[in-house]
Amino acid sequence: MRIRTVGLTKTYRVGAADICAVDKVNLEVDGAEFIAVVGPSGSGKSTLLNLVGLNDVPTSGKIYVDEADTSGFSGGRRRRFRLLRMGFVFQTFNLFPTLNAVENVELPLALAGKPRMDQRERAVKLLETVCLGNRIFHRPRELSMGEMQRVAIARALANDPEIVIADEPTGELDSVTAGEIISLLFDISKKEGRTVLVATHDEKVVDVADAVYRIQDGRLTAQN
Amino acid sequence: MRYTTVVKEMNVLFNGQLMVVSSGAVVIQAIPIGGSMLPQNFTEERIQDVAGVANTVPILFVTPMQIDEGLQAVPVNFSLGIPVGDWQLILGSTPLKDGVGHFPTDDLSNEIVVGNSLAGQYNWTVGKIADVNGFELNVTGILDTKMALLSRSIVMPLRLAQQVYNYWESVNMFTVSSAQGYSQQQVAEAVEQHLGYVKVLTEDERNDIIQPVLAQVEIWNLGIQTVVFLLSLILVMTITVMSVSERRRDFATLDAIGAPLTYVFRVVIFETALIGVIGGVLGVFFGSLGALFLGSLYTNIPISQFFSSIFEIVPPLYMLEIFAVIILVCCAGGIVPALNAARMRLAEVLKAEY
Repeated sequence: MRIRTVGLTKTYRVGAADICAVDKVNLEVDGAEFIAVVGPSGSGKSTLLNLVGLNDVPTSGKIYVDEADTSGFSGGRRRRFRLLRMGFVFQTFNLFPTLNAVENVELPLALAGKPRMDQRERAVKLLETVCLGNRIFHRPRELSMGEMQRVAIARALANDPEIVIADEPTGELDSVTAGEIISLLFDISKKEGRTVLVATHDEKVVDVADAVYRIQDGRLTAQN
Repeated sequence: MRYTTVVKEMNVLFNGQLMVVSSGAVVIQAIPIGGSMLPQNFTEERIQDVAGVANTVPILFVTPMQIDEGLQAVPVNFSLGIPVGDWQLILGSTPLKDGVGHFPTDDLSNEIVVGNSLAGQYNWTVGKIADVNGFELNVTGILDTKMALLSRSIVMPLRLAQQVYNYWESVNMFTVSSAQGYSQQQVAEAVEQHLGYVKVLTEDERNDIIQPVLAQVEIWNLGIQTVVFLLSLILVMTITVMSVSERRRDFATLDAIGAPLTYVFRVVIFETALIGVIGGVLGVFFGSLGALFLGSLYTNIPISQFFSSIFEIVPPLYMLEIFAVIILVCCAGGIVPALNAARMRLAEVLKAEY
């Protein structure tokens, strides 16, 4: 199993009340699966993805990645794990505005200590893969929403991660561009053998996903 | 800082000599201020009567507060009248500019040598006639010196100085060297006792008078510098906190994609160091310019006169020191925001945004 969670729980204290954003979630995701997590706003989708992506620490429960228990990981090891084995795609792209497309993609490679020449070569190749070979020196503000999300996907793939986590990747896009992005993420999963975990409202994602999970008040249920 | 440097460098004047002035005069290192004039011959003879006095030199030290109709806040032009042949007492080994000209050779001549700054200001060159107090004086040399006092001085034979400034047969100070076997203190006390109307200052006493003033000035300097640096620290910290706060999402994204804490920390510190470098260059440039401007404002000396001596007014080492301190202050001001940036977590930023 690539990702396995056992009794995963995250509670927040808001004033005097405890809010349970993720409630005893047991999730199992295998190899090259394309998984959709759906649910209304505030249902706990992003919290779940942040936990699985090791961006947040659970209140209780365990997260296993390739059967390795991540609960004992130090902060540094979690960072290293995120850097090398996970890729993140955000709803608002989160590109660095002062860097151009290729520099945005090079950043995770630089952080991973890849040689300078290899960084540029790999970044250009990835941008070509997402059909942005002719836009590599453009800054985010010079790109369309769809192009920015493609740069973000290229950045997520920079260090060749096994897991790609996408939080509402089509949330800011029109339906045509959203379709292209879903198709791209789907190909990443199927053609490259990566696990893609998508939190979404988009029905098109639900249509192509290998498995769909619904989350409501922090509780996760599989949907046929 | 410049003030204390100028006062300290005056200490080299009359090295090893006793200074005899009127009992009412105030002495700042080598300059007698106020007090009554001393009858030259009478006083000189009486000093020489004292046991332990080896040599006496009468000097007229004039600090006109007005030149070219402009009133100065501080004395910036000095006229020194000294008997021919005793130049080294004031000038030491100061050479003449480009080796051109000569020191006045005759007590009755109307020859003068002038400091380089003064010469520059009034376009005096060797061979030119300088109009001083209505007297046409012949410039026979330009002093090549970095010493503030000498660079602003007109040095002339004593008799000429007495004529020009209308102090006939009067001086305002004597230097006295003590004979072998007598200490400065012994001779000073003996002269004071014998004459009654003078005070005699040893080198140590002259330093003791000015030391508390210099210490006070330096305390003020230090205080002002500390306040400025603290304000800079707060300013840099505030700017950086705002800058980091505006880029919360960027730092959180860096955290999400796995950037090490040290990387984020270094990014912010690098930015503040860059602010320091830019601020340092601008600060040193405009600060030095400001020093020249204030110097010109307080002395009525044209600012152009200060340009050539900028590195004496603000020494390069001091510039470098200030530059380094600015960068250090900026880096220090960046530490707290850098730690905040490194601690930013995506989940928390998103939670705060939604």
